[in-house]
Order: sequence, then structure tokens, then C-alpha cells
Amino acid sequence: MQIGTAKLSYRADEALLTTKPQRLWMAALIAGLALAPLVLDNYWLYLACLVAINVASATGINILTGFTGLVSLGQAAFMAVGAYTVAVMDARLGTPFLVNLVAGGVVAAAVGGVVGLPSLRVKGLYLAIATIAASFILHFVFVNWESLTNGNSGLTVQPATFFGTPLTDYWQLYYVFVPITGLMVLGAANLFRTRIGRAFIAIRDRDISAEVLGISLLRYKLLSFAVSSFYAGVAGGMWAYFFRVVTPESFPFIYSVFFLAAIIVGGMGTILGGILGAIFMTLVPELLRFVVEWITPIYPNAVAALSPIRTIVFGGLIIGFLIAEPKGLAEIVQRVRRFFHLWPFKK
Amino acid sequence: MLEFSRRTLIAASAAITLGAALPAQAADDIVIGGSIPLTGVFAFAGVGIEAGFQDYLKILNEQGGIHGRKVRLAYEDTAYKVDASVAAFNKLNSQEEIHLYYGDSTAFAKTINPELDRKGSMIMAGASFASELNDPKAYPFQFMAGPDYTEMTGILLEYIAKEKPGAKIVLVNSDTEFGRDPIEGTKARAKALGLEVVEEIITPPTAVDVSTEVLKLRRARPDYTIFHGYVLAPVPEFISQARQLGLETKFMGTFWSMDSSLWAKVGDLADGYMGVMPYRYYYDEAENAPMLEQIRQMRPDYQSTAYMQGFLSAMLFTEAAKRTLDDGKELNAVNLKASLNSIRDFDTGGIIGTPISIPGNSIPVGRIYQYDASAQKMVPASDWISLQE
Amino acid sequence: MSDLLFFIEVTLAGLGSGALLSLTALAFVLIYKATRVINLAVGEVLMLGGYLFFAFASGLNLPAWAAIPLAVAGGGLVGAVLERGVIRPMLGENPISVFMVTIGIGSVLVGLVELVWGADPIALPAFMGNTPIFLGEAYVSRKIAIGFAVAAVVIGFFVLLFRTWRGGVALRATASDQAAAYSCGINVPGVFSAAWIIGCGTAAGAGILLGSIGGIAPTMGVFGLSALVVVIVGGLDSIAGALVGGLLIGLVEAWAGTYLGGEYKIVTTFGILIVMLMIRPYGLFGTTEIERL
Repeated sequence: MQIGTAKLSYRADEALLTTKPQRLWMAALIAGLALAPLVLDNYWLYLACLVAINVASATGINILTGFTGLVSLGQAAFMAVGAYTVAVMDARLGTPFLVNLVAGGVVAAAVGGVVGLPSLRVKGLYLAIATIAASFILHFVFVNWESLTNGNSGLTVQPATFFGTPLTDYWQLYYVFVPITGLMVLGAANLFRTRIGRAFIAIRDRDISAEVLGISLLRYKLLSFAVSSFYAGVAGGMWAYFFRVVTPESFPFIYSVFFLAAIIVGGMGTILGGILGAIFMTLVPELLRFVVEWITPIYPNAVAALSPIRTIVFGGLIIGFLIAEPKGLAEIVQRVRRFFHLWPFKK
Repeated sequence: MLEFSRRTLIAASAAITLGAALPAQAADDIVIGGSIPLTGVFAFAGVGIEAGFQDYLKILNEQGGIHGRKVRLAYEDTAYKVDASVAAFNKLNSQEEIHLYYGDSTAFAKTINPELDRKGSMIMAGASFASELNDPKAYPFQFMAGPDYTEMTGILLEYIAKEKPGAKIVLVNSDTEFGRDPIEGTKARAKALGLEVVEEIITPPTAVDVSTEVLKLRRARPDYTIFHGYVLAPVPEFISQARQLGLETKFMGTFWSMDSSLWAKVGDLADGYMGVMPYRYYYDEAENAPMLEQIRQMRPDYQSTAYMQGFLSAMLFTEAAKRTLDDGKELNAVNLKASLNSIRDFDTGGIIGTPISIPGNSIPVGRIYQYDASAQKMVPASDWISLQE
Repeated sequence: MSDLLFFIEVTLAGLGSGALLSLTALAFVLIYKATRVINLAVGEVLMLGGYLFFAFASGLNLPAWAAIPLAVAGGGLVGAVLERGVIRPMLGENPISVFMVTIGIGSVLVGLVELVWGADPIALPAFMGNTPIFLGEAYVSRKIAIGFAVAAVVIGFFVLLFRTWRGGVALRATASDQAAAYSCGINVPGVFSAAWIIGCGTAAGAGILLGSIGGIAPTMGVFGLSALVVVIVGGLDSIAGALVGGLLIGLVEAWAGTYLGGEYKIVTTFGILIVMLMIRPYGLFGTTEIERL
């Protein structure tokens, strides 16, 4: 049973971490993340980096879809914008990678703002379809703006350098990506303690009421698109430094569906949901690989079924969570927490 | 609770890795790693490649392996997705000592290249014949077991120039990296050979209905139409409509669209379809082809072109390793690639009907085959054509 | 050959492939009209239709006249199962969630098809014949012509159905006001099921036509995205919109592909979609109401 959490000021009540155990757990998490590369091998570090990138992008789409209520199926395209910005700046200007990442985010935010324009006219499903259209048009631009993007063969990216050391090993990239993602998640969590974030939520819950309350829909909807695309752009930039080749086929449409699925599975409209969803959806296909390895001795053809099963599990998770657990993994976590908070007084 | 679940996840996954990574084989095995697309859009190739590798390694190991060391393929399915390929690469490399690696796509080859350069411990071949990869300066530790895509169309053009000088050609390519790869090179070579490219048709990757493209084809009235960037669809529909219109053009394709079992399903329509093949077909009758004999003994049924590709890749990998060990050198990228490049006038046991050399990253030889619907086979339409001077 | 004749031939080809788009779009419209669900799995049901036909015609060696109705019925059955099993429990949920569920359904269907038939492209047994058709001097591909005829007949049939048949009227009543339809004694859940069955059956039929032209593969569901553009342009709840929108998009794609190059096909289509959303989001013939979702 949790006791002694009475707050004496609004400030304390609004804090991100309100109780001592929370702070302890958070410290343990940070320590764990910092020490993880010492025990993980290259394969798991690779996955950890991929998870970090996906968490950053999923947090972005969560701001737009989960908190503002605007559905986007263009997240992968915005990531591509960020990745191309990084690749072009890296090749043409040779600017430091942190500058490139921020620039990638800014350019993606600008593009996102433009793509968000239809959101003033259409909502819901129509908007989702508009973002699908935007991602196909962006794909066309990447293929055909050859002087900048090198067409279908794409651009290669030099490794990011940190004080002269090229960041090529996964553990090095891990120590770059995880803190950046951490900062972005922290930023998102804080965003919803400010006027802007609350305005987003107000728009999601009822846009007309929000407008009556004096929230400019034009401004905040576009702002939400821009912020979300900024996250995608930075994530795309990290992706570029991670895979070091950016082609128009690097960010397929299904990747956008992946992010939407990640926040659905994780839980829309909670920061924790975006994180859990991205981790879960990135690792499930890999875990299925091990499941197949276990089954192979019994059923030798299991490997041939791996890809279809991944596709089925992907779809099944979306359906299952939407029907059975619409608030996602975050809600399950909350339930477990509540159980321990109330234990032993409530069964 | 977030921390709790994440930690359990990590701990659980670590336990899974330990459980899954029990290498049962002898420690001094030579391991060939592989990111192979056993499922997904490229599965038909991946399955053949894997079988080709396993069969050649079986033959080799029965003869005692390399310097008494067994050779073994350690591979993972990638579903032809780059991130899965890279994951497989990292997983295998953290479990095994790997000096030879087989990759599945152009994008993977390009993505992993810096890592190959950095590691300096292995050479890589793969299912991609992208022209871009055929550059020993940019891709020093990679090679391809055949001609690159531009060289493939080059071989077709050599054939056309001999059959019908000054012929009119239409290029049909899919709007993908794969499809657009050889366009520039093909146009340049056609010009050099005095052939006229009268039309270039690009089809969207999802194209189903090709009637407008066929109309373009009819207007251009080419002698030859060269497809690239497809495995099968929409080529049969192209041919079908062109025949309906009474077009006299000959249809040609490149390696990945040359498997005869795929064309057998298309039926009579496929009759006369031609293309370039770097290897012999499973059923080819040839003198001095002991390897083909052996394959037919091991596998009574038809094996795909991808099987041949895997088989030859395994042969070249192990030959490079053997030559390196013969010289008493360490197995690393530089030595392996040097040994591979030392291959001159090498007899592939009939997989390729002419002795091969690998001075750079590719083997620019091939032969024109034509589909015979009554025999349900691809039959040779030319002798072996080499682009090497 | 004169440029004019060439233009006419391209136009005819465009109308032909547009008819296939119309037919697929019809599946979207039927389901949306009755249930207010945009079913993104239509593309995958279409693919499944092609595979079912393949299974009946090639696997069981049935003649085409038996295999086609069976495949269409199979599509309808899938529609019924999906509606009862997955969509019904989502009734009253946020439309976005239902939309995402249909994306999930699509993914599951792709996986199942790959599991059963593998991922390789397959050519369907030919049943349409090969003799070319000439309208005057202009050539029309036989398959495209047949596709056009089938689409025209099916769409005409549905228009008649909605005007005259009791069930059609019930569907229109449900579309305009669910509560009122209920109180008039219309079996609204039955209408929902019927719409899904008919819609998915139509999609499966379109899949057979499409597959006989370009062969079948698990990835052919992307065709559904083009059809989605058609419904937005034509109007989500309008059968006439599906027809006109399909022909329009087919024409524009054919012209863009011919005179600009194949790579411009998709981008022109989606360009039209964006413009349409900006100036007339409810489509050419859709009910004029701003979506409140």
C-alpha cells in the first residue's frame, strides 16, 4: 500500500515523478540503460539502437495521433525527409552530426506542417488518407529529384563523428541514440504539462469546445503536425547514421502503419504507451525468430513459415489490442502497478 | 513498473539468446554466414540459394573440406527486409567466427559495406547483381557470382548486334532501384554497338494492367524488347497483348526473370522468350559438366536458377578460402579477396560452360537461352558470350 | 499510325483499367454506405479472391464457370466472418480504431495467403481467350474489354438493386439514418452483414479479373489503395461516384503514364486526391457533410 504521497503544492502535484519509489525505479532504469552495453552482445545492441530510433518516432506520432487526435499514416515519409536531410547535409556541408540531426528534424517539421494543411479542412479518416497521399508524393520526389537525392540508388552517409572518433560500433551509437531518445521522450512528457500540450489534448477531446476556449485550431493543429514530424525527422536522421544508406525504398508505407500499430498496441495518448509499443513491436518479430528456432527440431519447415507468421502476428496484435485492450500495454502496466499499490488490501 | 517489465524483457531475451546459441559443431569449422530470404517476396530465390549452398558444401565436405576443415552454412531468414538482414548479420557474427558472408539485397550490400570495411575479416557475395556494387574501389570486399545487371543487358546487346545489326530496341524497366539499375549503361552500350533505343518504358512497381504500355510498344515497333526489374509479372501480359496485336518483337529478360519453372506455368505464351543466363540450367546436356551430373544425382527434380547461383557462390567462396589457406595466410578480407581475384580460367565443373576469371567484382559472362514451350525447357540460343577483353 | 488513333487507344485502355478500379471502389462504397467503416482490407480480400479462384480452378480442376461463383461466394463468406467476428465487437468504437482493425485484418489475410500458397507470383489459368478486339481501327485488350463489361454489368445491377429491391432500400435507409431504420423494423445488423458479404464478394470478383490480367501475388492488395483514391474522389457513399471516379482515375493514369512516363502514374493519382481533399473533401457525388470523426 502506497502511503504518504500527499502533495503540498501544485508544483509537486504536476511533477513527472511524484513518489520516492518512482524516482528510485527511474534511477535504476537509467543506470540499467547506461550499463546495458557491457552485457549485451552486438546483436542485442543493434536491436537496442533500432528500438531507440523507433521509440523516438513512435513518441512523435503519439503526440499527433494519441494526444491531438489527428491520424497520420505518413510518419515513415517524415522520417525519410529527416534521413535525406541528414544525408545531404553530411555529403554537401560536412556539418557535425548533432547539427544535422536537428536540421533533419526542422526540415521534417516544415514538411509536416505543409502536409498538415489539409487537417484544417478534413479530419479523421480523410486526414489519414491525405497523409497516405503525401507519403507517396514524397516518395516520388525522392526518386526523381536526382540532383539532390541521387534517385533510386540513394545516398550513402559517412559515420557520425564525436570529437574526431567515428561512431561505427553499435555500442557507440547506443550511447548517442539512447540519450537523444531519452531527451525527446522527456521533452514530450514535459510538453503535456504546458499550455501547448494541454491545447493538443483539448483539441483531441472536442475541437469545437477547444476553439471556444480560445485555442486557435489552425495554429495548434499545424504545431502538432510540426512537432510530431520533428520527432520523425530526428528519428530518421538517427536511422540514416545507423544504416548509413538512404534510398527511397528505405521507408516503405508499411513502416508508417508500423508506427500507428506501435502506439495502438502500446497505448495511445500516454508517453509510456509510445515507448512500450515501439519496444514491443520492434522485438516481437525478432523473438519469433527464436521461437522458430525452438520449433525447428520438431517441425523442420518452421523457418518457411516465419515471414507469414510475422505478418499474421503483426495484424493479429493490432486487432487483438483494439478489441480486447484498447488502451494498450500502458493500461496493463497501470493495472499491475495499481495491484501493488493497493496490495494487500485489495485482491 | 516500466522498469520491471523492461528488465524482465531484457533478461528473458538474454536467456533466449543463450539457449538458442549453442553451437554444436566443431570449433575449427569454416563458417559461411548468410542473410537469406527464405520467405517474403524473394522467397523463391532464397530457398534455391540455400539448397545450392548446402549441396555444394556437402560435396566439398565429403571430399574432406578445406585442409581437413569442414565448411558449414549458418544462415537466418530475412524475408528480404534490410533491417532483418542486418539483424541476421549481427546475430550470426556474434555467435560464430565468419569470414564469408552471403547477403540478400542491394540495399543490404550497400548498408553493410562500411561494416565489412571496418571489420576487415570477411568477404561477401549476394543475390544482388547491382551495377553499383561492381566497383572494387567502393566495394573492396564484395563480389557477385555472375555479371552485373548492366553487363547482363550488355551480353543481350552483343547478341542482338550480331543477329541483327542496327536493330531497334525498347527498354522496359520497373520503377524500382532494381529496375532502373542498368538503363544508363544499356543505352550507352547500345549506342556503341550501333543499336537504336527507340523507347524507354517505366512501369510502376505495382503495375497490373499494361495495355497503355503495350500501345507504346506497338508505336515504337522494336525488333527486341528488353525487360529488367521483374521476376515474372507483368511480362507475360506484355507478351500476350503484343502477340494479340501481331507485334514481331522478340522479348528478352535478365537473370532473375529466367527461371524455367516460372515460365512453364505461363505455358505456350512463353514460347520464344529469351534472356541472359550466367549459368547452365539443371537439365542442360553438356560434355565435361561433372558438377551438373552430381547435382542431378543429388536432386532428381528440377532446381531453380537461384540454386545454381547459390551453388556457384559456395564454390567461389570456398575456392577463395582454399587458396588463402594454401598460401598459408590468415583468413581475412584482404587475403580472401586477393585469392578470389587470383582465380583465372577456372573450371566450374560445368556450372558455367566456359572457364571464368574474376579480376574485379563480377564474372561478366553469360549465354542467351530461349524458352521452348513444347519441351518446357530453356534451350541455348547462343554460345557463351564474355564481355572480358 | 496517327497520333489521334493512338490517343483513342490509350483512352480506351484507360477506361478499361478504370472499370476495374470502379469495381473495387464499389466494394469500399457498399461497406461504407451501410456501416460507416472504411475497410482498408478490401485490397486483401480482392487478393484472396484471386487465390480462391486459383485454388478452385487449378487445385480442384473446376471449370471457370464453376470456379468464379465459388471464389466470389468464398469472398462473401470471408466478409461475413470478418463482420461477425471482428467488426461487430467494434460497433460504436471510434471510427479510427475500426479503420486500424481493418488494416490489421489485411495484414492477417496476407500472412494466411502466404502461409497456404507461398509468396511466389502465380499465373491464373486462362479463361478469357486471346482474340483481340478492335473498335473500328482502335485496339482494345480482350481482358480489359471483358473487365469493362463485367464492371459495367455489376455496377448497373447494383444501381437497380438499390432502387428496386427491398434489401437495397433497407440498406439505403440504414445509410441515411440508423436509428430511424431500426424503428421502421429494418434488421440493421442484418444489413451490416449483407453489406460486408456483398462488398467482399465484389472485391473477390474484382480480384479474379485483376489476377487473370496480371497474375496473383500476396502483394497485389496494394491495388486497394488506388481504389481508395477513387472512392475519395467519387464520394465515399456514392455508387455513381465509384463508377465516375474509377473511370476518371483510370483515364488520368493512362494519359499520365503514356505522355509523362510510367513513374508519373501514382504521383498524379495521389496529387488529384490531395487537390480533391482540399477543395471538395466529400467527393464528386458524396453526401455534402463535413466528416465528424
